[in-house]
Amino acid sequence: MKNKKSLLIKIAFFAGVVALAVVMFIIGRGHTVYFDNQKLEYEGKAYECPYKIEVEVKGERVAKLYAKERGSVTTIGSGFKMVLKITQEQNGRETVQEISLRLPRNMDGIVLNLPAIIAGLPEEAYLSEFIAAPVEEPEDEEIVTDEFGIGE
Amino acid sequence: MIRLGAPSTGKKSFSEILSANFVPLMFIVICAVSIPLSGFSIGYLLNEVVTRMGRNIFLMLSLLIPIMAGMGLNFGMTLGAMAGQIALILVSDWQIWGIPGMVLAMILSIPFSIGLGLMCGKIMNQAKGREMVTSYIISHFMNGIYQLLVLYIMGNVIPIMHHSLKLPRGYGIRNTVSLLSMRQKLDNLIPLNIGGVKIPVATFIIIAFMCLFIVWFKKTKLGQDMRAVGQDMDVAREAGIDVEKTRIISMIISTVFAGFGMIIYLQNMGNIATYGSHVQVGMFCIAALLVGGASVEKASIGNVFIGVMLFHTMFIVAPKAGEAITGDSMIGEYFRVFVSYAVITIAIIMYEAKKRKTKSQLGRQLALAQKEEGNEK
Repeated sequence: MKNKKSLLIKIAFFAGVVALAVVMFIIGRGHTVYFDNQKLEYEGKAYECPYKIEVEVKGERVAKLYAKERGSVTTIGSGFKMVLKITQEQNGRETVQEISLRLPRNMDGIVLNLPAIIAGLPEEAYLSEFIAAPVEEPEDEEIVTDEFGIGE
Repeated sequence: MIRLGAPSTGKKSFSEILSANFVPLMFIVICAVSIPLSGFSIGYLLNEVVTRMGRNIFLMLSLLIPIMAGMGLNFGMTLGAMAGQIALILVSDWQIWGIPGMVLAMILSIPFSIGLGLMCGKIMNQAKGREMVTSYIISHFMNGIYQLLVLYIMGNVIPIMHHSLKLPRGYGIRNTVSLLSMRQKLDNLIPLNIGGVKIPVATFIIIAFMCLFIVWFKKTKLGQDMRAVGQDMDVAREAGIDVEKTRIISMIISTVFAGFGMIIYLQNMGNIATYGSHVQVGMFCIAALLVGGASVEKASIGNVFIGVMLFHTMFIVAPKAGEAITGDSMIGEYFRVFVSYAVITIAIIMYEAKKRKTKSQLGRQLALAQKEEGNEK
């Protein structure tokens, strides 16, 4: 009886640790989100970019984008909320829009087209993957196994 | 009846106190001379020492349990550090950031650490009385396996997706892995700044829990068994304690905690020196513990705190003090490396000398007692 109880406690502990790992795996996924204030064409219709968009994430301004500009923020988890302060024309009135998105797990860098989001277009129109340009690198890197990192 | 044991007078003489605390006193003198020469402000020094305390204490605490079990200084803690690093490389590749990344890395490191600790414990059971040199050689042997894993298997067999982690040839991990996504996330979780000194509150809370765990663990049945094994294996065996199993458990616990400690250490650093971090920490933690007044057979939480403060103060001020004395900062740099090894050497020599002295004292007492017994007859 005592052995059975002990075994059950061990199984429950193991299951708890595995569950915690799974939760961390899900909630800890990091992304770099890029905001584009660029005009776009979707299904034959052109969407112009506003004069200025300010992006706030968690109460902090992370980007102030004029036409054709790009900003970025890093975020953890799949849920993403931002507040857009949009000024359509110079000296125009500022409107505020709150946006909630689910970020795809399989993308490290995500480009969001803000005019498309403002226009209420579907995900395929406003979201794309950011692919960094390949960097020219030397053929190989010297492996350093210097114990104290002092060098010669 | 023959009664053996060193005669205890209760009070210790000045020379006994001096000899027992030789290493910490030497470091207090080194620091007292070097601090004014370095020209660093007290605020800067405090900031640096507090940062290094948060970075190193957990790792150093992992050394206490094998000492308690009589296995000496666990040079095999680098095995746990390797496990922590492997877990962090995988978590970095999966792009799990911040505290969740750290927690996941800790969980992932557990099976690696258990496996390595089990292996180390089993080997050390075959080399009783020579645990330190055995664990030191095991750490070098496993370093080779680690390098094989990280240099050839990762990217070839174990999928590594991100090019920023891989060597340009397409497999193997780079010399430095960035942990920018989790850099000081734990340290800054509860921000506190007192007079310009940044206190990593969350890290200290975890350290406090670890200290409480050690205090509690010593009082448990397993903890008592470990102390008994540490004092005398034969007596412990006679008392019904499974000595081998207890020693293996102590190695496993130490390795798992070393893995956790390495993750805390590296989140503070913000990058992994893939082929060097684990080797460095093993040596530095052992040296720092000895500087704190610990010995091969006895160490406490207090030794950890004193050691990290003294050793790292010396580490911070040595290059500048060296520059002030010789005009070359590299002298100070070499000095601190030389001191790390010297302190370990001195501690081991003192331990061996003390052991021999006690042995010869006991021999003399035994001879005297036998002589007295003969006279009585």
